[in-house]
Amino acid sequence: MMKVFKSREFLVLVLLVVLILSVATVNKAVLNPITLINIVNSALFLMLIAMGQMFVVQTRGIDVSVGAIAGISAVIFGFALNAGLPLPVAMLFALLTGLVAGSINAVGVVFVGIPPIIMTLGTLGAYRGFMRVLTGGSWIESIPQSIKSLAVTRFFSVPLMVWAVAALVVVVAVLLARIKAARNFYAVGDNYDGAYLLGINVKATRFAAFALAGLFSGAAAIVFTGQIGFVPMQTGNGLELKAIAAVVLGGVSLMGGTGSIWSAVIGALFLTTVDSMMIFLKVPGSWNNAVAGAVLLAVVVFDYLIRRSVRRRQLAARAAEMRRSEIEAEGAKSMPKSANKTLQPTEASS
Amino acid sequence: MKFASWLRSWEFMLAIVLAVELIVLGIINPAFLNIENLLFSTSDFVHVIIAAIGLTLIIMTGGMDISGVSVMGMASIVCGLSYVAGAPIELAVAIALVVGFAAGSFNGTVVANTDVNPLVITLAMMFLYAGIATGLPTLLDMMGFASMGPGGFEAYQYEGISGLPKHFTWIGTGGIGWIPNPLIITIVLAAAASWLMLGTRFGRYLKLIGVSADVARYTGVPVKRTLIAVYAINGFGAAVAGLVLTAYFTSARSDLGADALLNIITAVVLGGSSIYGGQGSVLGTFLAGLALGYLRQGLLALGITSDVVPVIVGSVLIGTVALKIGMSVLNTKRANRAAYAAERMAVSGNGG
Amino acid sequence: MTDQPMSDAPLVALRGIWKVFESVTVLRGVDFDIYPGQVHALLGGNGSGKSTMVKIISGAYQPTAGTIEIGGVPTVLSTPSEAHAHGIYMVPQEPHIFPNLTVMENLTTGLQGDAAEIARRARDIAHDIGLNADFAAPGGELSIANQQLVEIVRGLLRNAKVLILDEPTSSLTRREVASLATQMHNLKSRGIGLLFISHRLNEVLELTDHIKVLRDGGFVLTAPASELTTDMLVEAMLPAGFTPPAATADRQIRRDGEAAVLSVAGLCSQVFRDVSFEVFPGEVVGISGVVGSGRTELAEAIYGIDTDATGAVTIAGVAAPRRTPQICQELGLAYVPEDRHAHGIFLALPCAQTISSSVLSLGRSRFMSEAREVAMAARFVERLRIKLASPLQVARTLSGGNQQKIVLAKTLAPEPRVIILDEPTRGIDARARQDVYRIIRELTADGVGVVVISSEVGEIAEVSDRIMVMKRGRLTELPAGVKGIEQISAATFDANGGVSA
Repeated sequence: MMKVFKSREFLVLVLLVVLILSVATVNKAVLNPITLINIVNSALFLMLIAMGQMFVVQTRGIDVSVGAIAGISAVIFGFALNAGLPLPVAMLFALLTGLVAGSINAVGVVFVGIPPIIMTLGTLGAYRGFMRVLTGGSWIESIPQSIKSLAVTRFFSVPLMVWAVAALVVVVAVLLARIKAARNFYAVGDNYDGAYLLGINVKATRFAAFALAGLFSGAAAIVFTGQIGFVPMQTGNGLELKAIAAVVLGGVSLMGGTGSIWSAVIGALFLTTVDSMMIFLKVPGSWNNAVAGAVLLAVVVFDYLIRRSVRRRQLAARAAEMRRSEIEAEGAKSMPKSANKTLQPTEASS
Repeated sequence: MKFASWLRSWEFMLAIVLAVELIVLGIINPAFLNIENLLFSTSDFVHVIIAAIGLTLIIMTGGMDISGVSVMGMASIVCGLSYVAGAPIELAVAIALVVGFAAGSFNGTVVANTDVNPLVITLAMMFLYAGIATGLPTLLDMMGFASMGPGGFEAYQYEGISGLPKHFTWIGTGGIGWIPNPLIITIVLAAAASWLMLGTRFGRYLKLIGVSADVARYTGVPVKRTLIAVYAINGFGAAVAGLVLTAYFTSARSDLGADALLNIITAVVLGGSSIYGGQGSVLGTFLAGLALGYLRQGLLALGITSDVVPVIVGSVLIGTVALKIGMSVLNTKRANRAAYAAERMAVSGNGG
Repeated sequence: MTDQPMSDAPLVALRGIWKVFESVTVLRGVDFDIYPGQVHALLGGNGSGKSTMVKIISGAYQPTAGTIEIGGVPTVLSTPSEAHAHGIYMVPQEPHIFPNLTVMENLTTGLQGDAAEIARRARDIAHDIGLNADFAAPGGELSIANQQLVEIVRGLLRNAKVLILDEPTSSLTRREVASLATQMHNLKSRGIGLLFISHRLNEVLELTDHIKVLRDGGFVLTAPASELTTDMLVEAMLPAGFTPPAATADRQIRRDGEAAVLSVAGLCSQVFRDVSFEVFPGEVVGISGVVGSGRTELAEAIYGIDTDATGAVTIAGVAAPRRTPQICQELGLAYVPEDRHAHGIFLALPCAQTISSSVLSLGRSRFMSEAREVAMAARFVERLRIKLASPLQVARTLSGGNQQKIVLAKTLAPEPRVIILDEPTRGIDARARQDVYRIIRELTADGVGVVVISSEVGEIAEVSDRIMVMKRGRLTELPAGVKGIEQISAATFDANGGVSA
């Protein structure tokens, strides 16, 4: 249990609550449950994309094409619905589009050896261009409004979409805890060579990470299209970078090996909440990006400082252990020297 | 000897590619080959090259800075706001350049003093600077600065700031003879950066850090100072790009250049820089930037929709890197085989 | 499979293994056998090729030529998991612990099959070999000794018949080493073949049955441990054609009236304590110490790489309380790092650019001149007898010895007053080694103070005017006149304090 409280996810969650409460001292309206539910509702798109991104970042990769994948999946979803396909089939098409697009990234990164930032930047352009080519540059508007009705359906005043994504998050969390291969994401990101030497199929793991990023972006496209009822050309624009910011904020290190599905969820909630809180503080929306950037910067620098001090403390502890063992060994051989200075481990207090 | 090795260089290949591209496009559409037209059409894309020059220096060190696209918009809006707030245009330009330089220095300071991936740091900076750029007008309103328009400074956020003085917009729209001013600025900056990289101690530091930052540190290279300086130069370059674009569009906007990231990085990588550092060429970036820019112009001239352009640019980026990886794998294999054969020969020679 | 004597069939046999990296030959046709129920030792200096050999046995590298026979059948091990499938497991020097996974997950990651069954086996094996840890705690909280045991459990979970222990003791306390020794005995009695790699000669003699010494990519000594002594091992690890020093030992160093070029007083860090010594112009101070004794950390603290150390350092008469490599170089202190590739040489660049790299910040000129650079490099190429086609040849393609000479040239270019050389002859051939010693003597003739740090006792004996020993964070000077290899070995390797003590 202690582990949960010490985790970065929990830290950011606490920050989130503090943020909401402190805004509440200025404007009580924030604490209205409907407000909070709406924040969650508007975070869903980013949350799903961030969940996919989480796998990639955890394995020490980066995928800047997820927003474009969401865009192209949304277009395919819209086409499928307009072609009169039943909703489940259309959803399958959207997911499949995401999976294929993610797998293309995976092939370039894993089998050709192209650096992830280059590969996904290239496909970012390619997918976004392809999306415009498919639609001729215009919005897809004539989508059957039955899908929109899904978005306005509420159970206990919580939108159906929120329930669906919450269920998905729980299912994914359980699966990740249950499926042993899920640990390979941590292992590969944490220590690539070590994972390889342990016999883990590192290529398959990295491949799966990029493919999953695509799949989740496909899922995000379904939620997005459902929520707004049409597919604008900007779908997913800039979301790739927000998704990275969300997972890093939630505790996934770009050095790999840390974080969980909750990092993506909480990181996305946090960024969306920051946007909403600005409204309650009457700060113009034009400052949203600046605040998001400042928060991300503060978190990664703070994280670096914590990591550094932990590392120093561990080194000091080990040095002290060695010294004790040494003194014991000397003591066994001869009388302990009184002149033996006991040195404090030089803690970095800076 | 020197000439022969130059013929095999990446830059020479790029020059050939550029020439072939222009000829092919010219054959399909002869109107394209009008010299004056060719020169003036560069104004549509030289901001990409200017930003890519600074990034080339950073990538030389094995670093990365994706915040340049936001610095462009920030420099543009800062210049515009300073002007409408009453500063003479010369001062407004100077303020914008200082802001770009300061933003870059801040990036460099964080990169040099933490082990956090530069991509993440500059990702945060990209949001931060873009946010400052869009937020500045409202901030000025809140701080009670007297604005000139009825909507307050906030109105500029959406409309952009036009009405900039003629001698400023001339920088973007005018030219000397057949050569447009933006191209002249680009060439001057490229020459300066190239000299910095090849002819100065600073340029050598960049290379040493890129090949191995650890070896550089053990050798006594001032790694932190060099990194801060190179990010600062990049910030300055991005600000210049933003101002050139402002002058060309005759309007200061906070989102100028925001969509240039893919093109900038493609120009650098296609120009021969390795994103692992230690290898790069400003001339290569310049030529690659021209080739990419004309490719876009050419495709548009051929009636191909602009939507296809990013597909092609993205494919060119991926293809270039894949090609380089393939070539280096083959070379290593060949070298190892040769070394083994030589050793084997030496051993059997000694034995017999 | 229990307690059988040396059987005729080796579990694993290497036959004529060659390995070439980056155009450098690391292994030259070596043979090696691992038998069940035996502990084999592999010895060799840094860069002798032993870690490469181990990686080939464990499937991480593929040999350039030669075959691996497992149970008498030639087998290709193209990945570590194939080696695991054939019963070979390597416990790496730095255990691969995933700090954010639980201990149990650390044990079972990478295994296929029924989770509950694997967890049960993991608990049993962990209990058998004495891994007492909270299985639900994060792996990052494991002690170093337990991390090593985690690796051994991983191997046994994969039914390993051959376990390779790569320098398992280098970061353990004495008590932990003793406990590891018990476990090795335990494994041996189960018929497992062990390959043990260590720098600590007394441990090797005590814990292993067969010893092979690797030097410059080939074996120079193969014998049962019972027939060997520390001295014989030291001698085997010495360079070919090495003659014990006699004449150089009594070189008279004038130091009346001359100030020390380097003086260190009360230097402390987390790895070493209260280190004080002085170096005078024209003398060679040898610091003998094994890996993990704190010798490299000491050098890096003096040179300003590690900035957390406390204590006083004076370089050429100038106190340097705040040090960076740059400040040290400006004051006249240069450093040749232990890890040549990671810290010494720009492998991907022309040699001339590595050589000039140390004088860039010292020169007045901010501008580069390739002609001047190449001319300076050419001077050093001649002076240090570096074999290369041109100063513009890329360093990667040179042999280890020539690469080290390039690093020396880089270090000498700013004309330092005092030089610290950390393992200056690591992984280089006999002739290059003699050249390095000659260069050191030339430097002292010019009045430069030299500190040589080495784990090779023979090297310390050969080059040093005064000898100090770094052991477990403490630096002590041997009495003047104590220059024998045996005496230095005894002081360096803990020969009297046994493993099981």
